[in-house]
Amino acid sequence: MAATKRKRRGGLAVPAKRPRKSGKDARPPAKPRDKAEEAEEEDRNRIPGPVCKGKWKNKERILIFSSRGINFRTRHLMQDLRMLMPHSKADTKMDRKDKLFVINEVCEMKNCNKCIYFEAKKKQDLYMWLSNSPHGPSAKFLVQNIHTLAELKMTGNCLKGSRPLLSFDPAFDELPHYALLKELLIQIFSTPRYHPKSQPFVDHVFTFTVLDNRIWFRNFQIIEEDAALVEIGPRFVLNLIKIFQGSFGGPTLYENPHYQSPNM
Amino acid sequence: KGLLKPGLNVVLEGPKKAVNDVNGLKQCLAEFKRDLEWVERLDVTLGPVPEISGPQSTPQNKDQKAVDPEDDFQREMSFYRQAQAAVLAVLPRLHQLKVPTKRPTDYFAEMAKSDQQMQKIRQKLQAKQAAMEKSEKAKQLRALRKYGKKVQTEVLQKRQREKAHMMNAIKKYQKGFSDKLDFLDGDQKPVARGSKEGAKGQQMKKGPNAKRRYKNQKFGFGGKKKGSKWNTRESYDDVSSFRAKKAHGKGLKRPGKKGSNKRPGKRTREKMKSRAR
Repeated sequence: MAATKRKRRGGLAVPAKRPRKSGKDARPPAKPRDKAEEAEEEDRNRIPGPVCKGKWKNKERILIFSSRGINFRTRHLMQDLRMLMPHSKADTKMDRKDKLFVINEVCEMKNCNKCIYFEAKKKQDLYMWLSNSPHGPSAKFLVQNIHTLAELKMTGNCLKGSRPLLSFDPAFDELPHYALLKELLIQIFSTPRYHPKSQPFVDHVFTFTVLDNRIWFRNFQIIEEDAALVEIGPRFVLNLIKIFQGSFGGPTLYENPHYQSPNM
Repeated sequence: KGLLKPGLNVVLEGPKKAVNDVNGLKQCLAEFKRDLEWVERLDVTLGPVPEISGPQSTPQNKDQKAVDPEDDFQREMSFYRQAQAAVLAVLPRLHQLKVPTKRPTDYFAEMAKSDQQMQKIRQKLQAKQAAMEKSEKAKQLRALRKYGKKVQTEVLQKRQREKAHMMNAIKKYQKGFSDKLDFLDGDQKPVARGSKEGAKGQQMKKGPNAKRRYKNQKFGFGGKKKGSKWNTRESYDDVSSFRAKKAHGKGLKRPGKKGSNKRPGKRTREKMKSRAR
């Protein structure tokens, strides 16, 4: 089945392929049928303009890119994130020699206000920065246990660019640093409504859970209305290192006492 | 003089204090927070759906048994249940806000995983299932064979025991210790008959038919030959194989050939010839 792009005709039940009119076969009920047929053919020839049910107001744009020296798993994870988030933009690899605040300028050039930056060190450790670009807070994580979309054990599937439901653990409301992280995650991962590349359905859910002082991320597909779920992937675990007040710099607001550097 | 010398005082680092600027965090959050409608964010904070375990006497308190992060199954189930709780809580709200959640069947659009990928997944699942079924069948077969073997050995042993019992009884009768023929189930007990026949007669009442029995007696089962012809009173008295007609030379008229066989012999013919002249 060839995947066809969604036709922007508004409304939901728009078939990508129209079944051929059967009026051509049955001539006797001709007259009114013919007229309807003609009208339909005209309709088909005319390309209707995009009809959005609403305006896209929440202008969030996420810049997702990485440093040099990443391995295949990280690259696939990055591609998966770009696919799941239609409000994301890609960029070329950055040299690790440059200072981090250069990223702010890159974001500004691309007109993005959030950033996910993957930094790979020694070809083994993967660090992820989540940041709000001009002034806002940023956080650095160590990423572990990465499983990508392509793994065969994850059998679910979802529309590309559909809006996710975000589910958080109650532990996110208890501590102030988790509350800040929750706000950051919500703003980054939720697809804006009426984004031109998004699909209007809500058919998958991202779960963020705090367990063992780490944040576990899972992505499930909603199959039934009675909450039957299947995992889509990707999966990863974030181990918080530090929260900074500025974007990629600034005073440290929080440092995770349970974090142990993988090099020690 | 109490002058400082190197090595006199050792620099001790105090315990590292992790920075936790709560006020700073709260202030940052207040500045950073965007007051978006819930529909834009679609977030929900809920614990997992409580699992339906057995009847609990104590009421469910806040701190349920913490999920052990090392126990993979429990952990993944807790994530699953958290997602379920979120979905169950949110779906009615979404329906109220007229946000669609179900994709209509004629809505074709690009999916996150390509069709090729889904085919691969499906094939892998099928292969796994087939392998599992195969191993199940093999296991069952092995179990069946074991059981069958057990049953077979039991039956064989039973037969051996029966045969031994029968032999004992026969020998007893032969030696005259007991004159009851109860151990035979309605079978005749000639001495000539082989022991095998007796045992067989017990197991299979009908057994081979009369013709077969006669032939068995005459030709088959080596052991019978030895004792089949004895010149005893019984064999002398036994006139069952006496055919009167054969004995008197009568009977057995062959299907009549033509009178050409009634041609008299040479001498008779010459006599006739001479007489006829």
